[in-house]
Amino acid sequence: MQSSAFLDYVDPWVNWTWLESHVPLFVDALQQHLTLTAIAVAGGLALSLPLGIAAHRWRALRNPLLGFFGVVYTIPSLALFALLVPYTGLSIVTAEIGLIGYTVLILVRNLLIGLESVPPDVLDAADGMGYRPLARLAFVELPLALPAMFAGVRIATVTTIGLVTITALIGLGGLGQLINKGLIENFHTPLVVATALSIALALVADLTLVGLQRVAVPWSRDAPR
Amino acid sequence: MEESSQTHCWTGQTQRGKENSSMNLRIDSGRFLAALAALVFVATACGSTGNGGPTSKGTLTVAGFNFPESSILAEIYGQALAHDGYTITYKLLLGNREVVAPALESGQIDLYPGYAATDLEYYNKGAGEANGDAAATTAKLNSHLQALGLTALTPSAAVDQNAFAVTTDTQKKYNLTKLSDLAPIGGQLTLGAGPECPTRPFCQPGLQKTYGINFKAFKPLDTDGPLTRAAFKNGSIDVGLVFSSDGDLNSLSLVVLQDDKHLENADNVVPILRQAAASTEVATVLNAIDAKLTTADLITLNSQVSSQHQDADAVAKAWLQQHNYSS
Repeated sequence: MQSSAFLDYVDPWVNWTWLESHVPLFVDALQQHLTLTAIAVAGGLALSLPLGIAAHRWRALRNPLLGFFGVVYTIPSLALFALLVPYTGLSIVTAEIGLIGYTVLILVRNLLIGLESVPPDVLDAADGMGYRPLARLAFVELPLALPAMFAGVRIATVTTIGLVTITALIGLGGLGQLINKGLIENFHTPLVVATALSIALALVADLTLVGLQRVAVPWSRDAPR
Repeated sequence: MEESSQTHCWTGQTQRGKENSSMNLRIDSGRFLAALAALVFVATACGSTGNGGPTSKGTLTVAGFNFPESSILAEIYGQALAHDGYTITYKLLLGNREVVAPALESGQIDLYPGYAATDLEYYNKGAGEANGDAAATTAKLNSHLQALGLTALTPSAAVDQNAFAVTTDTQKKYNLTKLSDLAPIGGQLTLGAGPECPTRPFCQPGLQKTYGINFKAFKPLDTDGPLTRAAFKNGSIDVGLVFSSDGDLNSLSLVVLQDDKHLENADNVVPILRQAAASTEVATVLNAIDAKLTTADLITLNSQVSSQHQDADAVAKAWLQQHNYSS
């Protein structure tokens, strides 16, 4: 049989012996992945709330804001990181500028949808009960916007979990670092295990958010998604 | 204030909206925001370790590109410097030079294992100044690095560059050691390389012009990829284009022929540092490493990482121990 040497050795999908001796590698990667994702979503939310509320309050802001973050969303991560490295270095800051930038579009859009979906008669009732604008926003509009915001946070979280892998380019990347290792060393085990962990992480995070939403917004259980 | 904007959405669901609002008024909305904040701040703190002992001569950050050889070289440099008393931080598997070079210039990293010709052509923006002479190429590289506050040390004899290989059988049959040896017998041999080879100066035209080799035939394949390997295996090529430090060369029974007339650009391993980090002591340590490192070492080390899946730090440590850097 004329088989070539590179086919003689078949790399198993998971080399359990190697995996057993490299568990800490995966634990560290998973922890970094979680950290990068949590900061990205938290930071995105912290930025989106004031921006979304402002765009809701002053309609003229809406299109420029969504347009701006729409453009940010299209910047290739490779280019973004290369541009940022001279200023913010190979740091978590560089990674988060990219990751937060990408989540803001999703979160602002969903916050706006949530705020716009508050029925006018509810607002009339709130006004009639004597709510000042700020109190009405905090106690009527934002709680009613929560289901849409939760939908946004879920999309942003799952997207970010996938996106974190690209920060391997600047030496971070969480599980992306191991996926990268598998690709460049032509070694299935880190590639397969890190990919499976990334998918599992996205599923667990999404289910956790669904659970949180059920607790925080019990009336929206059958709300349209 | 905002009434005018609330004229769409949820039409036909006013009943539901009323329920929502009445329920909502009884619930402390602050709690939702608190819960939301708690939800997104479950971030685990990412601690950085810095165990600079009392005798540390300073901290250096060693970077590497995203391929195994770069990690191995970064580990060898780093561990040798650690052996000398420096505290080392590693930033390995980074992207390409577009990411690593700015990080070096801005002081995020202190050194990375470079390659003379490739780095010269990066820093001179592809001006084509590199040639087959490692010392001359490195001198030109340094002329470009100077203004950036960077410096390249003495290039190693170890190279990772385009090279032409034959099987050990072919080597024995014709008694070959260098590319010049192919000139008299080229007419009996078939060359295999990427499809661009017949037009590239470093490939077929260069072999003809510099060495006077005229092959019997050319087979368009790839550069050191599965096609070239299969072609070597089934004997459809005699000479093939590979990378000189490929870890699979030994297991494939391939031998690189020495580029005795320096056709290929000199991609000798050379550490590139920030001038601020390139003290005489650091330079001495790294130059001593580069003086000992050979292309054969690179082939072995690459094979240990790429084929045997050993860790780069472990194979680097073993190499250093072989060369009397016990730790």
